[in-house]
Amino acid sequence: MTAAAAGDAAIGAPARARRMRTPNDSPLKILCLAPIVIWYAIFFGLPLVFLLWIGFWRVENYQSIPDVSLQNYQEIFQNWVVKSRYGLAMLQSFWVASTTAAIATVLSFLIALALVFAVPARRQRLALLFVIAPFWSSYVLRLYSWQTILSKNGVLNSMLKAVGLDDWRLEIIYTQIATRVGLVHFLTPVLVVILYVTVINIDRTLIEAARELGASRWQAFTRVILPLSRFGLITAASFALIMGLGDALSGALLGGGAGASVLGKYPLYSAMLMTDYASSTNLPRTSALATILVVAMVAMMALGVWVAERARRRVSE
Amino acid sequence: MTDTSDTVTGASGVTGGMAAPSRRGVLQGIGGLAAASTFGTFTIISRSARAAEPLRILCWPGYEEKSVIEEFEDIHKTKVEFKIYIGGEQMLQFYAQTPPGTFDAIISDAEYVQKLVAQKAVEAFPSAAIPELANYHPKFADFAPMRAGDGAIYGVATRFSFYGISYNKDYMSPEEAQDWSSLLLPKLTGKVGVFDWYLPNLGNASLAVMPNNPTPYDITSDQLAKVREWLLQLRPQVSMFGSAGQPIIQAMIAGDVYASPTGDLDIDLKLAGYDNFDSTIPKQGGIRWQEVATLCAGSTKKDLGLEWIKYMSTAKVQSNLVYTQAFKARAPNLKVVEHWNDDQKTLLHYVPDPADPSKLLVEDLIDRSVPRGLPAQQPEREWIDIFNEFKTA
Repeated sequence: MTAAAAGDAAIGAPARARRMRTPNDSPLKILCLAPIVIWYAIFFGLPLVFLLWIGFWRVENYQSIPDVSLQNYQEIFQNWVVKSRYGLAMLQSFWVASTTAAIATVLSFLIALALVFAVPARRQRLALLFVIAPFWSSYVLRLYSWQTILSKNGVLNSMLKAVGLDDWRLEIIYTQIATRVGLVHFLTPVLVVILYVTVINIDRTLIEAARELGASRWQAFTRVILPLSRFGLITAASFALIMGLGDALSGALLGGGAGASVLGKYPLYSAMLMTDYASSTNLPRTSALATILVVAMVAMMALGVWVAERARRRVSE
Repeated sequence: MTDTSDTVTGASGVTGGMAAPSRRGVLQGIGGLAAASTFGTFTIISRSARAAEPLRILCWPGYEEKSVIEEFEDIHKTKVEFKIYIGGEQMLQFYAQTPPGTFDAIISDAEYVQKLVAQKAVEAFPSAAIPELANYHPKFADFAPMRAGDGAIYGVATRFSFYGISYNKDYMSPEEAQDWSSLLLPKLTGKVGVFDWYLPNLGNASLAVMPNNPTPYDITSDQLAKVREWLLQLRPQVSMFGSAGQPIIQAMIAGDVYASPTGDLDIDLKLAGYDNFDSTIPKQGGIRWQEVATLCAGSTKKDLGLEWIKYMSTAKVQSNLVYTQAFKARAPNLKVVEHWNDDQKTLLHYVPDPADPSKLLVEDLIDRSVPRGLPAQQPEREWIDIFNEFKTA
């Protein structure tokens, strides 16, 4: 230990002893945290554990019987690339969800930037309210609206026809492009809020300093705003990816249940899970299928958290 | 089989579900409750709670609608509670996860009645107790899957319809609709909508491969392989899979789907003013679905349950039942025409067949269709896997 460090330690010891007590040190904090912990334990933890547990059950005479059997998982993985081909559906889900997450995040980031830098401060809350307004309407209704817009004789194609662009008819309904449209519309309000909070908290003096030191607008964006937004961007993208992986409605109503993408005409895993249950009403098997999706999502989330944490540390340094 | 006197008049002697609760009973109750909330359906209480002993019925949607049940409640001064399910498997699971005596009657798809019988969930009653059977189409009056021997039956048909081809007449001619292979025509590539359930689709594919086979669900593995091949051939034609009829109807109106092996979607379309749609059963045959009213063996209100079955067999009730918000269907009681106007008769094909005026058009459709069944020679899972393969092809 150096003399300076020893000196610091000597000063630190009484400083620690004199440190003021904060609410964080209070034993009451356990009491305050208890409701939320209990809430999550009952309404999130228990159902999740129940879901994982049922995956090991079996069905006899249409009743789910508690068991510790790997049969459901064995059957699912035997059908991973042949017959039911759950693996292809999972691949389709990851492809659609990841591209949706990328598009929605970029779009939301642009909106957040516009809100922070182009809208006067006193109008920002109102503007933010308009951005999240679609979230107040039913998701299913929004999907049906998109169906009306995107279908062969829908609003979009009718407009193209009206202006003499018949040859430009768009045929995207019942493809995964339409699935993404529905998902992006669903996700954007949430992502804008996440990214708005990120961007609004960037220290303006850093941007001003960069500009005064000769940085162009683009350089100020790429070297100051973007690095400082990295944590929010990764959080938003992870959220979008997880939501995209779990959603079945957009894929069913706009994607047509098994819409085409560059990978092929495969259904989304979440949609397959639902139809599998509807056909067999085999709860243990469906739980096993759902567990696989949960594990995939947790892996994605863990990756997102790890990357976001790295980004945060880099920014802190 | 149970004799009528035991079944009906002896109802009061049947022990109810009020015995001291055992651990298993409690667990089953919790299981039933959990299942009810998990499966997301709900109980509809059709009238305010004015009677102490409601009749409880497990059924497909439609039976709970006011136009169907109101008169029964008024006549019998009772109320009826409905537990709605979607799909025969779900019905079996709901039944299995509730204590005996929970339900007094079940509306079941005909093919699932044998499973209910095997579980001793339903019991037979004499066909003579249902006088309206005299007005039924012969195939439903003496409905083979319902026979219980000694003049008894396990259930009475209440409504039915077909999984033929529904099509847009602007893109498909009535002649083309007479052949399942027309769905493979190049002009229908990416323009076919499919109902997302393996059972009717594999049944229709079975008939397409083996025309007019009276038992399309009782086929060998080699024959099933041919069914699979036919479905894989059909896959490029399919643009969408609908979880119910409504999304397919929507797609047909929007011009995204020209044809669908989902039967009589044209009824809803015509009612909405779209006259360019029609439906038929191809010459190779098509699948017919039918629901039957059954009496629960564990019911403590069998008299009332049987009265409800009698009520559901009447022409007047069936004339409303086939027009519910939930479903448009057909009625097995041919006297329904007495309660319909000419437009309704035409819409549902209860008009004389131009080729044979001695019978109705709907009778021709019944003759050309085959009841939906369950896989007989293979496990159901094998058929589901083939359907999943078709979807992911």
